[in-house]
Amino acid sequence: MQFTGLDWSTLSTLMGLSALAVTVLYVLKLRKRRIQVPFAPLWQQVLAEKTHATDLWKRLRRLLSWLLHLLLVALLGFALGDPHLEKEVVEGRHIVLLIDTSASMASTDVSGAVSRLELGKQKAQEVLKTVGPEDRVMLVTFGDQLMPLSPFVGEPAILEAALHSMTVLATGTAYSEALTFAADSLRDKKRGELVIISDGAGFDPSLNSVEFAKTTTVRHLIVGESSGNLAITGFNVRRYLANKLDYELFVRVESFFDRPVEAEVEIWADGRLVDAKPMTLQARQTFQQFYPSQAVSGERLEARVRLKTTDARDVFPLDDRAYALLPELGKTRVLLVSEGNLYLEGPLLLNQNIDLTTVAPTAYDPAAETDVTIFDRFAPAVLPEGNFLFIDPQGESSPWESRGDEKDPIITQVRRSHPLMRWISLKDLNIGVAQRWRLDSGDESVATSIDGAAIVATRKAKGRSIVGLAFDVRASDFPLRVAFPVFLLNVIDYFSLDESTLVESYATGEAWPVPVGSGLNEVKIIRPDGTSQEAKVFEGKAVVYGDLAGFYELNGDGFRKIIAGNLSNSDESAIAPVKIQAVDQVVVNDTSSLVFDRHELWIWALLLAMVLLVFEWLSYNRRWTV
Amino acid sequence: MAELEKFDEAFLKKLEYLYIISRKIAAGAQRAERKKRIVGSGLEFADFRSYSPGDDLRNIDWKIFGRTEKLFLKLFEEEEDLYIYFLVDSSRSMSLGTPSKWNYARQLAAALAYIGLSNFDRISIIPFSSGLDGRLPPSRGKAQIFKVFEFLNGLDSGNQTSLQDAFKTFVSQNKRRGIAVVISDFYDPAGFEEGLNLLRYHRFEPLVIQTIDERELDPKILGDLQLVDCETGMVTDITVTPGLKKEYIKAFEKMCSNIEDYCVKRQILYFKAPIQTPFDELILRIFRAGGFLD
Repeated sequence: MQFTGLDWSTLSTLMGLSALAVTVLYVLKLRKRRIQVPFAPLWQQVLAEKTHATDLWKRLRRLLSWLLHLLLVALLGFALGDPHLEKEVVEGRHIVLLIDTSASMASTDVSGAVSRLELGKQKAQEVLKTVGPEDRVMLVTFGDQLMPLSPFVGEPAILEAALHSMTVLATGTAYSEALTFAADSLRDKKRGELVIISDGAGFDPSLNSVEFAKTTTVRHLIVGESSGNLAITGFNVRRYLANKLDYELFVRVESFFDRPVEAEVEIWADGRLVDAKPMTLQARQTFQQFYPSQAVSGERLEARVRLKTTDARDVFPLDDRAYALLPELGKTRVLLVSEGNLYLEGPLLLNQNIDLTTVAPTAYDPAAETDVTIFDRFAPAVLPEGNFLFIDPQGESSPWESRGDEKDPIITQVRRSHPLMRWISLKDLNIGVAQRWRLDSGDESVATSIDGAAIVATRKAKGRSIVGLAFDVRASDFPLRVAFPVFLLNVIDYFSLDESTLVESYATGEAWPVPVGSGLNEVKIIRPDGTSQEAKVFEGKAVVYGDLAGFYELNGDGFRKIIAGNLSNSDESAIAPVKIQAVDQVVVNDTSSLVFDRHELWIWALLLAMVLLVFEWLSYNRRWTV
Repeated sequence: MAELEKFDEAFLKKLEYLYIISRKIAAGAQRAERKKRIVGSGLEFADFRSYSPGDDLRNIDWKIFGRTEKLFLKLFEEEEDLYIYFLVDSSRSMSLGTPSKWNYARQLAAALAYIGLSNFDRISIIPFSSGLDGRLPPSRGKAQIFKVFEFLNGLDSGNQTSLQDAFKTFVSQNKRRGIAVVISDFYDPAGFEEGLNLLRYHRFEPLVIQTIDERELDPKILGDLQLVDCETGMVTDITVTPGLKKEYIKAFEKMCSNIEDYCVKRQILYFKAPIQTPFDELILRIFRAGGFLD
C-alpha cells in the first residue's frame, strides 16, 4: 500500500488528537441521567437478581461504542492518507498529445468517424479521460508547421475546446520538427508520454534522427486504413502570345491505386464546367499532359479529378481539385505619332487590347506614358527609353542611317522563327520603295531584300527596344494584307509587354511573398473559405501563409490581385498509413499501458466510515451498546 | 397543593348514576339494615370463612373441624350503622405522573363515599402515607358529599409510605369497626402484609383497591441511569437494558399478584385499578363483585 495524501507524521498527529477527543467525548457521554421512579426497591430487587456472569459482557458491550468511534477515526485517517495499491502508478506523467492536421488527415477511409482527423480527435478524447490529478497534458498540432495549443496543464477540460476546433489544413507534414519539439519538451520529465495521433503518411524513417529520453514512452496511434487516391499534383495554364484568347493547359494526375483505374479530369472556368478529359491510369502511374488551344474565357480555372471506376474509392478529397489563374488580358498603350495614317490607325483601333493615342509629330511628348510608340515617317530628336516602331523614319534622328533608297525591293530572306514573323508571310510583298539602312553591330535584320537591304530590322540597346520598317506602308500593299495587323500585334508582343503568359500557383503550407507594388503597408486577404485576414507588406511584397487550396484575393488601396494555392504535394497525396519509428526506441502502437484504472481507495474508506457512523448511532439509540 | 379534582356537576351526575346502578345490583336494600359482615359481634349466623391467625377462637366451628380437620370461622350478622373508612394513600408515589394515581384514588373515594352516604352509611376519609395525614370525621347522608369533595380537594400529598405505621394509628384511633377501603399503590418498602393484618386483627373488613399506572408497567427508560426514589430519595445506579426492563415488569406483576393472592387467601376483596380505566367502570366492577354493597 502506498499513501499519496498527507504525510505520516501529520496523519499520526491528527489521528492521535482525534482519538483523544473521541475518548473524552465518550467519557462525557457516559454521565448518567437521573430519572424519578415511584418505587426504587423494586428495581433494586430486580437488579440483585441479575447474575454476575453478564457483567463482563455488559462492560464489553459498553466499550463497543468507543471502539466504533476509534475505528471511524482510523478510517478517516486512512482516507486522508490517499492510499493506493502498491503496484498502482500514482506519480504524475507529462503527456504530449501530438495530433496530425496535415492534408492526408482529411481522408475518409475510417470507420466510426468522417475523417482520419475526427477519428484522431476521438482517440485523443480517450487519452484525456485517463488523465489523473497528478498528470499534465500538452496539446500540439502539426502539419507543415508546429502549433502548441497549450502548455502542460493539469485540467484536461481546458483542452476540450481546442481539440474540438481542430481542422485539417491543406499542407504537408513536418514530422521531424514535430518529433523534435516533443522530444525536447519531455526530455527532463521523470515520466514522459508522447502520443502521436497521425496516419504517418509521408513519414520517412531514414530521415528521422530524433532521439527521445529514456524516460519517454513514444506511442503512435495510427489512423487510416487504405491508400486508394487520385491526386492532381500539377495544374497550370498559359496564354498564347499570339492569341490572347487561347491558352494551354497542363495537368498532372497521380494514381496511388495498386491497379488500373478510369478517371476524368473536369475543367471549370469561373464556376462553369467547360471541358472534361477522360483518362486511364495504370497502377501507381503519374499521368501528365498538355492540352493546347483551350479557347474559353474566364479568369479562375479549376481542375477536378473524378474516379470513374465503380469498385474503387478515392478517400482523399483535398487533392482532387487544383486551381490556376489565367493571365490577365491587359490593354497595351500605343502612341501613334503620325500626320495621319488610316492604314495604321485602323488595325490598332480595332484591337480591343490596344489603347491607341494618335498625335502629330509636332505634338509628340517624349515624356508621355506609353507602352509602345509608333513613329510614322518621323524620328524624334531625343529618343527616350521604351519600345518603338519606326515606319520609314525620316531625318537625321532616324535610328538607322539611310544610304539611299531601293526601288521595288523584293524580300527574299525572312527569319521565320523570329517573333515578328509569327504567322505572317512577306512573300510577294509589293513595296514601292524602301530605305537602305546601315545596320549597327547589335542590330538584327528580320526581313532582307534580294540586295541585302534590311526591310525589317530590330535593335535593343540602352533601355530601348526598336523595330524598324524600312518602307512606308502606304507605298506598299502591306496594309491590304491579312499579315499587316498580325505584324503589328507581333511587334507589340515582341516588346514582351505581356509578361504574364503564365501565372504560377503557390504551394500550400508555405509563406508566399506576393508582389503588390509600392505604396501599400498592408493588404486584406480573403481566403478560399471566405474568412479574411490582414497581411503586412514589406518591400512591395505581402507575406501570405496559405494553408488552404483555392483562390486568395488580395485587396488594398486601389489594388486587387488574385492568386491560387494548391496542395500539389505528392508526399501528402500518398496517404497510405505508415508506422512512425523512433531512433533506438520501440514505438508502441496502442494505449494499453497508457490507460489504466486508478483505485481511489479513500472513497471506500469514507463510505465505510459513514456506514459505521450510522451503525454507531443506531446501536446507541437502541441501547445495544450502553 | 394537590391538584384540584373536578368534583363538578357532571361528576355528581355520574355518582348518582352509579348509585342507581348499585341499588339495582343490591337486592332488598333498607335503611341502615344492610347486611354487614363483622366478625363475632352478631347473633345471626351469616357465613363461614377460613381461619386466619389472630381471629377470635370462640367463633371456630369445631364441628366442621372434626369433619374436615380444617379450621373455619362462623360469621354473624349485626344490624347497626355501617362505618366505611376510606384509607386513601397520599404518599408521593401516588402523585407521580399526569394523570396521577392520587387523582384517580380521590375519584374512587368520592364515588364510593357517595354510594355509602346515599345508603346512609357513615363515611370517613382518612389519607395516609407514613402516618395518617388528616381525617374527615364519619358523616352520614347524601348532603355530606360536598364536604367529602371539599375534603378530598384540600388534601396534599404526603411523604413515604408505611402501611403498618399508618394503620396502627388508624386502628388505635377508630374503635367503631367497619369496612376499611384501602386505596393505595402499595409501594411500601416494608411490605403490605403487616398493615393489612392490623386491619384484620382489629376486626375491620378490608377492601383492597390497588391503583396501578400502566405507564409504570412499561417504563420507557434505557441506558445508564440514576433512579431516584420519589419518596425516599434513594439513588440507584443502574443500566437499564431491554432484558432488565422485562425482569422489572415480571417483578412488578409478581408484586401485584402477591397482593392479590394474599387478599384471595384471606377472602379480602381485591381490585386492581389501572388508572387508565375510567373510574366508573371500576366502581361497577366493585358493585358486581358484591363486596361493597352487601
